[in-house]
Amino acid sequence: MKSYFSLMVLGLFVPAAVALYQLAPRRARPLVLLAASYAFFWSISGKLLAFLLFSTLSVWATGLVLEELQRRRAAEMRDPDVDRRVVKRRFARYMRAAVAACVVANLGVLAALKYLAFFEAVAAPLLAPLGIEVPQGGLRLGVPIGISFYTLSAVSYVVDVYRKTSPADHNPVRLALFLAFFPQIMEGPIARYNETACSLWSGRPVTAENLFGGTARALWGLAKKLIVADRVNVFVKTVFDGSASVDGGVVALAAVLYTIQLYCDFSGTMDFAVGVGRIFGTRLPENFRQPFASRTASEFWQRWHVTLGAWFRDYVFYPVSLSKPIKRLTNGSRHLLGNRMGPLAASGVALACVWFGNGLWHGAGGQYLLFGAYYFVLIWLGGLMAPLAERLCPRLGIDHDGAAWHAWQRGRTLVVIFIGELIFRASSAPEALGLLGTLASGFSLASFADGTVFSMGMDAADFGVVACAVAVLAAVGRLRERGAHPVRRAWELPVPVRAAAMVALAFVIVIFGAYGGSYVPVDPMYAQF
Amino acid sequence: MDAILDILEDLKSGEDYRGRTDLVDARVLDSLTILALTSELEDTFDISIPAVEIVAANFNSLEAIWAMVQRLRDEDF
Repeated sequence: MKSYFSLMVLGLFVPAAVALYQLAPRRARPLVLLAASYAFFWSISGKLLAFLLFSTLSVWATGLVLEELQRRRAAEMRDPDVDRRVVKRRFARYMRAAVAACVVANLGVLAALKYLAFFEAVAAPLLAPLGIEVPQGGLRLGVPIGISFYTLSAVSYVVDVYRKTSPADHNPVRLALFLAFFPQIMEGPIARYNETACSLWSGRPVTAENLFGGTARALWGLAKKLIVADRVNVFVKTVFDGSASVDGGVVALAAVLYTIQLYCDFSGTMDFAVGVGRIFGTRLPENFRQPFASRTASEFWQRWHVTLGAWFRDYVFYPVSLSKPIKRLTNGSRHLLGNRMGPLAASGVALACVWFGNGLWHGAGGQYLLFGAYYFVLIWLGGLMAPLAERLCPRLGIDHDGAAWHAWQRGRTLVVIFIGELIFRASSAPEALGLLGTLASGFSLASFADGTVFSMGMDAADFGVVACAVAVLAAVGRLRERGAHPVRRAWELPVPVRAAAMVALAFVIVIFGAYGGSYVPVDPMYAQF
Repeated sequence: MDAILDILEDLKSGEDYRGRTDLVDARVLDSLTILALTSELEDTFDISIPAVEIVAANFNSLEAIWAMVQRLRDEDF
């Protein structure tokens, strides 16, 4: 069961889980969900389930410790004879130590399993001149499925209990279900405790509305994945696995197609997760908000992988920005550069932490660090240059709020996104730089003119199918951007019409899906991160 | 509350801040603007704003910002 979109999962696992859940008494339903989630995890990662259990138990215990410390602090603060500031400082120290120990333990497991081999490879040439031999290969235990996702959810729970924005959960089984819920374990969304834990635990019955609505959403995701992502995969693999033999025009096309593939694969999997979550009566957070309508790189990251961006904002950007050294830097730069530019300049440190973390989170490889550095530079400089653009536009006769300027911004941001995904898809940082070099110096449309482009895994019909699918997705996105909700509107239609639409969608997937023959099943792309 | 409005106008002019309850949710205030706002609030009201307070609920409206400022002032005494 390496993919949600396999016959085993769609045809057997999910229907069986839904049936068992519905047949079970309400109080036992969360246990059915947890058993299904652990079975799903076990089917992919086997004994590595122990690491998920470790994360669950460690954050559960830390939550209880924090709650006890908060209770004792409140009790001492009620004593009129104590110095409240001293008590606050003392307990803040204790609580920070508890949070730090738990966070370090969880991130340490993640680092040891996912990054040790990368760090060893980086350290080896650096330490070799000193005569230090660094062992290679990491722990060789394997990487549990979804560790990058559930670890962030686990850390957010502990920090939220520390911040008192979430209660400490006394029930380790509820916490276990929150972290392990099978539709989201593989690729997220990275949910917060307050968003899903209680809803999952409530054992709501499966209603016809949720069953059909959730199934339709999952089907929509399956369509994105099978019709677009898996079809485009053949071309993308051909180009990126042998980039030396292609010209810049093909590299540019591959970057665009890879962006489409990644979007359809990842957002399609999110549709599955949200859809199956809905069947079980739980609303999972959305991870995409029409990302290609963004006008800046910063806005793109508020619309693409929303829960990851929000996690880095809440648990890295703000804490680093508001730490004492950065606050001092902010105040100093404010006096030097003004109220707007000063904090922006100082925020560079926090942004650097965010983008180093974001790059590294995606994988142990130089190309991911380059990807993070790329967005750090673009977003930081974008923030610094924004006031300049605001002043320059009127002088140049450009309407800053006009449609033409917005269209230019969107087009420019699309190019930024395509280049970013090109770096992201490369197998190493040098290869990413090589591809960018080919794009810049070897740009040619010869492969389009002589038809070579149609011999790289996608023929004209494939390009036609992808173009139609992208047009449909763009139209739906445009309606959503205007505040309309076409799927919800469609859901208000009579039941026979809805049922017919679902059958029609299933037929479209069967007819146009890229499976069998020369196509190979592609595991969900974000599951590897 | 007028002092907060002045700060917001200074940081990001051209927005109607009065009566709105979605300043963060509608992305009128992005994370960098909130950072600058935080710094200004700390100076103006002589308070310290910890990271735990940087949540949408505290910045979605003028009233919410004012309530947070008042609460943090009280906590400091």
